[in-house]
Amino acid sequence: MPTIAVDAAGSAEGIEAIVRGVAEVSVQTGIDCLLVGDQQRLQALLEQIPYNPEQIAIEHSPHDANRDGGRRSAGLFQRQGSPSAVCKIVAEGRAGAAVTTAPPAACLRAAARHFRPLPGVEAPALAEVFPRRAELPGQDTLALLVDAGASARCTARDLVRFAAMGRAYARRVSKVASPRIGLLNMAYDEQAGGEPVAEAHRLLAAVPGWEFVGNITGADLVTGRADVVVCEGLLGAVAISLLDGVTARLADLARAAAEPTLLWRMGLRFVGQGMTALEALIDYRRYGGAPILGYEQLLLVCRRRSDATAMANAIKVAAKLVRDHVAADVRDAVNTVGR
Amino acid sequence: MRLRRKTALAAPPLPPLLCRWDLDKTYLRSEFDTVRQLIRTARERGEDKVEVPGVAELMKALWSAAARRGQPISSYFISASPPQIGKAIREKLALDGVPYDGIVFKNQLRHIARGRFRLLREHIGFKLVELFRGRTAAPAGTRELLFGDDWEADPITYSLYADVVAGCLAPAQLLAIVQQLGVDDALVPELSELATRSLGVDGVERIFINLERRTPPARFRLFGPRLVPTFNYFQTAIVLAADGWLEAEDVARVAAALVDRSGYTAHRLDNSLADLLRRQLVTGEVARRLSRPLRDVGLLPPEPRSWRSWLDRVRARLRPAPTLAPQTGPLDYQTIVARLRPETVATKQKEVSA
Repeated sequence: MPTIAVDAAGSAEGIEAIVRGVAEVSVQTGIDCLLVGDQQRLQALLEQIPYNPEQIAIEHSPHDANRDGGRRSAGLFQRQGSPSAVCKIVAEGRAGAAVTTAPPAACLRAAARHFRPLPGVEAPALAEVFPRRAELPGQDTLALLVDAGASARCTARDLVRFAAMGRAYARRVSKVASPRIGLLNMAYDEQAGGEPVAEAHRLLAAVPGWEFVGNITGADLVTGRADVVVCEGLLGAVAISLLDGVTARLADLARAAAEPTLLWRMGLRFVGQGMTALEALIDYRRYGGAPILGYEQLLLVCRRRSDATAMANAIKVAAKLVRDHVAADVRDAVNTVGR
Repeated sequence: MRLRRKTALAAPPLPPLLCRWDLDKTYLRSEFDTVRQLIRTARERGEDKVEVPGVAELMKALWSAAARRGQPISSYFISASPPQIGKAIREKLALDGVPYDGIVFKNQLRHIARGRFRLLREHIGFKLVELFRGRTAAPAGTRELLFGDDWEADPITYSLYADVVAGCLAPAQLLAIVQQLGVDDALVPELSELATRSLGVDGVERIFINLERRTPPARFRLFGPRLVPTFNYFQTAIVLAADGWLEAEDVARVAAALVDRSGYTAHRLDNSLADLLRRQLVTGEVARRLSRPLRDVGLLPPEPRSWRSWLDRVRARLRPAPTLAPQTGPLDYQTIVARLRPETVATKQKEVSA
């Protein structure tokens, strides 16, 4: 079983959520975790909950973004922050992958500092999964968006590499033999979105063996049109946070809509179970974290508000990625499309 | 002229060591959460039974370590299982080659005959009587090690017994507590008599609780430093070695059994050792002394040779060593009982207020 390095600082839910997630994994699975954080605090928290010490190691690191309410200066965080500590552990080969709730920018800096970039990759990408409607047989209810904010602006070649990396990742994780690739754009027109995107469209369409569906718009994101959505980081980050915001407020929106009429309110009560199921389907905690692609090593970035369940799922996803040699698959995929 | 004595004075004989073990969940991995599992357990033969990893090796190690010291040792099992499964248990112990002196079973048929089915699950009174009975039969000065688990009431049973034996809990106090815990009234006179006879004889060194259910260790803080919750028998062996009951070779024997027969890895044993250190159950110095031979033979991973690990070792030496304070005074049994049996305490409070 692989060892996963877990950064025990930075979550908005506090260090407790991370420790609970790790403890849950240690009791339920055979995954080994290396918790990185304030040893004394971590041990004190562990002793309050069921855990399996055989699968948990603790590496003392005094950095804890929560102690100063996350106001630690960017420079200090960059130099000696907790994502850097876990990335170093992975780079040294003491863990197969790392999981953190630190801000993506700090994670990217840490990965750039410690990880070996894949040959030919100039811009890393954050691969974020999001819920959507499965429309075709064998489709997963989760799609992948690459890049969700690692590289704000990129070249056409970068976008092709994102597609290659995302495709390799989706093939392993979603078990889709030939994922449908879509280029997120403002219109379906091949020339839309400016020169790099139009050029990327031409290059993607020319790759043999890929199921490239062309441009897709924001409205297509939650449909089954594409399994892998490729875009620049700036656009991807906006799209993901928009989806996140809407899904998080879905129940509130339904309640607000039903408020004026008693009949609607009663109706909402009747579909309560359905609403719960829907909330569970779009719950971010199910997906674990978003991996940073483009390096020989893996770092999963979880949301800052991740709770114990989200952390446990992120660790399980990280272990699966290590077990399935996803990093090697991604490297091979990048080699295929060339520099 | 003074003549030099040719032979050194013989060392005084070591006091006997008495080890008492619970059976289910401490020695055996018995499953009886459901009626089906209970029936299956009752019908199992010796070869079907599965021991908790490392326990058999630990028992053997205790015996060989005592033999090396020239210390008399005896081991007894006290089980709340019915005597009808005794044959299978004895077969299992023989298969494992475990040295022991006797097994006491609970006569469940007596409770069934009296129609007192509640007492089928009440083991505190039964175990206390057997502990005291065994103690009164043991030679004076006997040192004791008690082994149980976190499934039933072993921590409170062993602690009550140890406090009476240590002389810090009067028999009258013991009876008041056990009545709160709902023990069989028929056992009270015998318990009172045995407790009075054992009062202050002293000798319980440690109580080990096998965390089979992964109960959080913090829950056992109420039981004081005498009670040590451990997650596996490698941890138990390390603490026993730190206390001087085992040596490094005995710990290695338990570790080897865990690696060879139960799928443990050097890495997981190392994590277990680190957990003991973090819980301050052993000092860094003792851990290093005990782990060195294990690292040499590959039972633990080699110590990292980076400047960082060197710095960690220096820091550990500078840090004040944890003091494994001996148990002083009786435990706060009211709080313990309130946690263990909240309903009985609530009823008692109602009675008092009425």
